[in-house]
Amino acid sequence: MTLKCGAVIRSLVSMVVLFTTTLPASAQVDSSRVEAVAGLLEELIETYGVSGDEQRVRAVVERHLPAWAKPRVDESGNLWVRAGQGDPVVVFIAHMDEVGFQVTELLDDGSLQIRQRGGFYPHLWEATPAFVHTAETRVPGIFMPRDEHQVTPTRRPPTGFRVSVGMSSRAATEALGVRIGNTVTNPKEFVRLAGTRATARSFDDRAGSTAQLVALQSLDLNALDHEVIFIWSTEEEVGLVGATAVADELGFTPARVHAVDTFVSSAAPVDRQNFAFTPLGQGPVARGLDSSSVTPRAIIDGLLELADGHNLPLQLGATNGGTDGTGFRDWGIPHMPIGWPLRYSHSPIELIDLRDLVVLSDLIQLIAEEW
Amino acid sequence: MSYQLLRSALIATLLSAPYPLAAQTAVTLSEQFIEMTAVTGYEQTAAEQLLAMLPGTTLDRAGNVVGVLGTGTPVRLLVCPLDEVGYVVGRITDDGYLRLRRVGVGKPNLFDQGLEGHRVTVWGAAKPTPGVVSIPSTHLGRGRSSIPDRPFDVDDAYVDIGVDSAKEVQQLGIRLLDAVALAKRPHRYGKNLLAGPEAGRRAGCAALARTYLDQPDVDGTVVIAFVVESQLRHAGLRVVSRQLGPFASTWFINYDPPERIIDEGFGAIKHSDVPVQFSETAVETINLEEVETLTTQISTGIKKHP
Repeated sequence: MTLKCGAVIRSLVSMVVLFTTTLPASAQVDSSRVEAVAGLLEELIETYGVSGDEQRVRAVVERHLPAWAKPRVDESGNLWVRAGQGDPVVVFIAHMDEVGFQVTELLDDGSLQIRQRGGFYPHLWEATPAFVHTAETRVPGIFMPRDEHQVTPTRRPPTGFRVSVGMSSRAATEALGVRIGNTVTNPKEFVRLAGTRATARSFDDRAGSTAQLVALQSLDLNALDHEVIFIWSTEEEVGLVGATAVADELGFTPARVHAVDTFVSSAAPVDRQNFAFTPLGQGPVARGLDSSSVTPRAIIDGLLELADGHNLPLQLGATNGGTDGTGFRDWGIPHMPIGWPLRYSHSPIELIDLRDLVVLSDLIQLIAEEW
Repeated sequence: MSYQLLRSALIATLLSAPYPLAAQTAVTLSEQFIEMTAVTGYEQTAAEQLLAMLPGTTLDRAGNVVGVLGTGTPVRLLVCPLDEVGYVVGRITDDGYLRLRRVGVGKPNLFDQGLEGHRVTVWGAAKPTPGVVSIPSTHLGRGRSSIPDRPFDVDDAYVDIGVDSAKEVQQLGIRLLDAVALAKRPHRYGKNLLAGPEAGRRAGCAALARTYLDQPDVDGTVVIAFVVESQLRHAGLRVVSRQLGPFASTWFINYDPPERIIDEGFGAIKHSDVPVQFSETAVETINLEEVETLTTQISTGIKKHP
């Protein structure tokens, strides 16, 4: 494989940084890069964007794009950045939305009826603080405990639960600017755990959005002899809505697509570990199989060989769920999702190792420039 | 960092708080009290915070924080509970997870469930350490038998602090029997509402703290006590009674000990509460106007009348 200038330098740095010991592969990542990724990720995490309400997240991504980027926002709200020219066209796609709730009704007693946006265990939100995201601001409230919470025999609230913003009439709630269709979340906080671990809600897929952004910032345009398209998509969590629009617009054009999204890891004490066992801190993951996509073995092997040739640690696994790449399969486009191992998916305490994100951003750059 | 250093750091933090102590209202104090962690029997850190917050108060033999206003008779007691039901580290697994044991009296069915999928703080010897309580990944449950429908129980809890071995846990200064509690984040909403774990009891203590800071002129002696272990055997209350009683009267603030504890040494009994909504949940809610009202009631009740 012919190495280009940027890749040569990176490869040499990688060899110095990564190839010196037998420690788990991501363990050798430079701490300043971990901190840089953490800073960007924290900003994206602490910005709210339930599916269909991603504009705040998009604004943060746009603010961090390199000066050369000429972003475009399509009718579905997806953010596009194109780099290089010519075939083969390679697409990277990470999603900006997060799971949450949406207001469906303002009740006479001032409380809010809500519906779930995306798949998660709703009881984790019961009896927790809430924010209702209105057009102008965010209104604090709480996810109300079920009425029978003192004696209930069930983990899940059998009839759901409502949100209170502390008002006792529909008019008072409306006066706060709350409307049907507003999205609802709980407050988010990016918290560092021991070493390079961190916890927050919505690493899925702010971490992917971050890795893609960091890769774009580092991209050597002179090293590109083909076109690479970076997409930050909308409404992945409610049916791959934004990505489907992208796939339909591009049609048969792309040679390959890489969803950059969570690899839900079973390396946790409460999950069954017969598949998806990808320990944290041992590198990003090539996702060979999930609930809606199978990647041909030749493509998987090609990626593993590429990473190995540049001393980038890369794990391989199968997990559950789907990604934004799925819609591209309907156009016959090969799909090789990549991600990072994550524990406790779609919960308020998703957990990652930041070193895996640094290596993932290197992998994205490598694929863009070399594959 | 040693416990003494931690204590100094906490005190320094309090003393450099944005509000000078004298300017603290019962409202700002309520937020500070809700942020505290004081697992029953493990209240030392919160007690140290209180000692710094309330000049002139002292620790008694039980670990209660006690302040005294006035002199002579009658001797009256005002008391609120400082502690909360919580957890301690019961076991450290080889792969670095913490298992828990609950400390304190029984709680509603969903009390432990407040842990599941949420952030906790481990109060280790060196420093408070953040952690999370594991939850099965949503995605990995799809198409397979899912999590049980009985409420989450403390025995289901694995605390993940971001390490992979027991040795790393030890290096963070975490030991068996260190206290563990939900991460405390008081949450304002509505016009005057404040939500958080134990909001009512903590707001009651805030009202008492505000009264003490005002140093009102009182008839006789008023003992103000923030007592420990109310969620275990009321040992804190018993020690106050034995050490400083008998009292002509006792005013319980958001504290309702069983009758068998109350002997004649407590004198005439009075109860007052900051009312709560959604009690014994992580969003137990108080109306801050009620805290101000209670503060006024307490001050009026103990002030020397001309």
